[in-house]
Amino acid sequence: MNEFLLVFGAEFARKVRSRAFIAGTIAGIVSIGILVLAPALFARTLRTSSSSVVLAGPPALRTRAAALLRERYDIVAQLDALPLPFTAASLDRYHKAAAAIVLAQEPGRLRIDVYARDLSQVGEGLERTLGPLQLALATGADAAGVARLTQPDLRTHAIDSRFADADAAELAHGIAFALIFVLYLSIIITSQSVMASVAEEKTSRIAELLVATISPVRLLAGKVMAAGTLGLAQIAIWGAAGLVLAPLGLSGVVGSAGGVGAHLPLTLISPTTLAIFLAFFVLGFVQFATVYAAAASLISRTEDLGSVATPVILPVVGAFFLAQYAGVAPNAPISIIASFVPFVSPFVMFTRSTISNVPPFQLGLALVINLVAALACFSIAGKVYRVGLLMYGKLPSLRQVAAAVRSR
Amino acid sequence: MLNVEGVWRSFGSIDAVRDLSFALPRGHTLGLLGPNGAGKTTTMRIVLGIYAPDRGKVSWNGAPISAATRKHLGYLPEERGLYGRLRVREQIVYFARLHGVSAADAGLGARRWMALLGIEEYAERPCSELSKGNQQKVQLACSVVHQPELLILDEPFSGLDPVNAQIVLAAIEALRREGTTLVLSSHQMWQIEDSCDRFCIIAGGELRTSGTLAELRAAVPDRLVRIAPDLPQVRAVLDRFGRRVANGGGHLDYRLPAGSDFAAILRELVALAPITHFEPIPPSLSSMYLRAIGSPDIEASVP
Repeated sequence: MNEFLLVFGAEFARKVRSRAFIAGTIAGIVSIGILVLAPALFARTLRTSSSSVVLAGPPALRTRAAALLRERYDIVAQLDALPLPFTAASLDRYHKAAAAIVLAQEPGRLRIDVYARDLSQVGEGLERTLGPLQLALATGADAAGVARLTQPDLRTHAIDSRFADADAAELAHGIAFALIFVLYLSIIITSQSVMASVAEEKTSRIAELLVATISPVRLLAGKVMAAGTLGLAQIAIWGAAGLVLAPLGLSGVVGSAGGVGAHLPLTLISPTTLAIFLAFFVLGFVQFATVYAAAASLISRTEDLGSVATPVILPVVGAFFLAQYAGVAPNAPISIIASFVPFVSPFVMFTRSTISNVPPFQLGLALVINLVAALACFSIAGKVYRVGLLMYGKLPSLRQVAAAVRSR
Repeated sequence: MLNVEGVWRSFGSIDAVRDLSFALPRGHTLGLLGPNGAGKTTTMRIVLGIYAPDRGKVSWNGAPISAATRKHLGYLPEERGLYGRLRVREQIVYFARLHGVSAADAGLGARRWMALLGIEEYAERPCSELSKGNQQKVQLACSVVHQPELLILDEPFSGLDPVNAQIVLAAIEALRREGTTLVLSSHQMWQIEDSCDRFCIIAGGELRTSGTLAELRAAVPDRLVRIAPDLPQVRAVLDRFGRRVANGGGHLDYRLPAGSDFAAILRELVALAPITHFEPIPPSLSSMYLRAIGSPDIEASVP
């Protein structure tokens, strides 16, 4: 059997049985479960606690205000006057309402008193919601009519968007964020597993026996491929868990305030998005994993792993943050430039391609750049790995590594 | 036949191996000797194709060292390790498979070597649970399971207790009998002297001497001769031929030219004194090694 396939098979078998892979996969499924199901499970509670109010005031005023408030609040009780002193225990008596709103008509204006545990949950927007009532009181007009008059006919027309409306755009942002997070996690976890594997072979001194048997480049290729395949398998398992759990999450939040499950139905990830995700995962992973492997090949003791790991982890963290920025400003110059910078590009270009109309040539160019970068990384890392595996002692300087790489 | 011809290899400004040449016919065992830093490991790595020589060439059976050639080579490095979590049998089979052995033959080979090295009972145990000695046996099994034509063993006895060293020695003997060509490096001279029929002594990256034990001895210009009793007339005769290097315990140690007529010297001594002991001692590998690497200790009373 081909040496590469043997290394691939052995690495895959070792890793798939490892505690790290099993624990990571289960932890991922549990996290997805929490992410998808928790909003559904708690939607009712959250909604009740954050939007249920007690409305107090003169009946005529209350009736007109209630008509306006019902769009945003659950009015759990209506009172002529609030029993004083009004405390948190008083709110609990009214189905654990979030707040009590007391209305009073003063000359020329509406007075609103709010009693709440957390003013940020209720106070926000109350002025806007009840603004028409004040106008109605001042002018004697119908409050609903005033509300209609003060509500302009807003129509949005996207001229450079791939999405039909704001909801679709918001959905795309959610998908992009979730996938970038998965991309980040997968690349960092799988790359680090390559690093750990190389470090194990180096520090256990089995590396010399291996390189006497097979070419270091094939050894590296087998390792990277096995870790990458396992990373994809892990993503597939997580995706399958998401597919199974998403409907449960959705059914729980329909008609409620919503939650992550409502915003991220995995079935809405298009095949194109999935293909681009896989392409950038593979290309990004090869870039990072080979650099991680080369770094790990330079250490002699496990204790040294931290000193080589930190410098190579920083780019992936930086790339993740740049992708967050690209999610907000996909067409900003820095986002566009970062789309073509190796290591960063897989994250940034994927984000941009998911939420905005990236010209096909830009996407193609980014893929080509990443392909070239992945091959270059593999070639350079292969040379470092080849000499690094046999270097023991003090951690070599960059100059020593460069000299070793130049030698045959 | 292993042929190393004019091989050079440097690392930066350091010449690890300089113009090294030696040949080893098939089925023979070469002792590669030298002090630490002499270039032994670099030489072994060059032979195995791990390092490419800067100059010169290495061939096995007339073919340069390539991926295909390496399938027939085996190596036990001085610094060796195992996959701790992998079971003993899996580990040995894995290395056999990497050398191109079929799955069935790899299984048979693993079983045979585990039996030979007395580690059968650990076959399904993770290597990390084995004692150091048993781990070293697993490492040896990994190096030989594919039945290499040329096997290179770098310090195979280091870290082994006498019992395990004997088992490894027996395994090496078994390989010799089967016709495996061996290159052995060790600081245990007596083991090397017993196991090898050819020797190559290097120091400072250069070849100092090579050949069979007889050839090495023939190249030594003097012989240590032990004579008793220690009498003035005995010394007077021997001082004419050589140099006294030690005396005490009722005997004398002299270094005499290798080409001396020892029978004539003995006859002359017997005529002058009641000689009880006259022994020209052939140079040991140890002394030839010390001499080759230029150690000052050679002046001491060692054969």
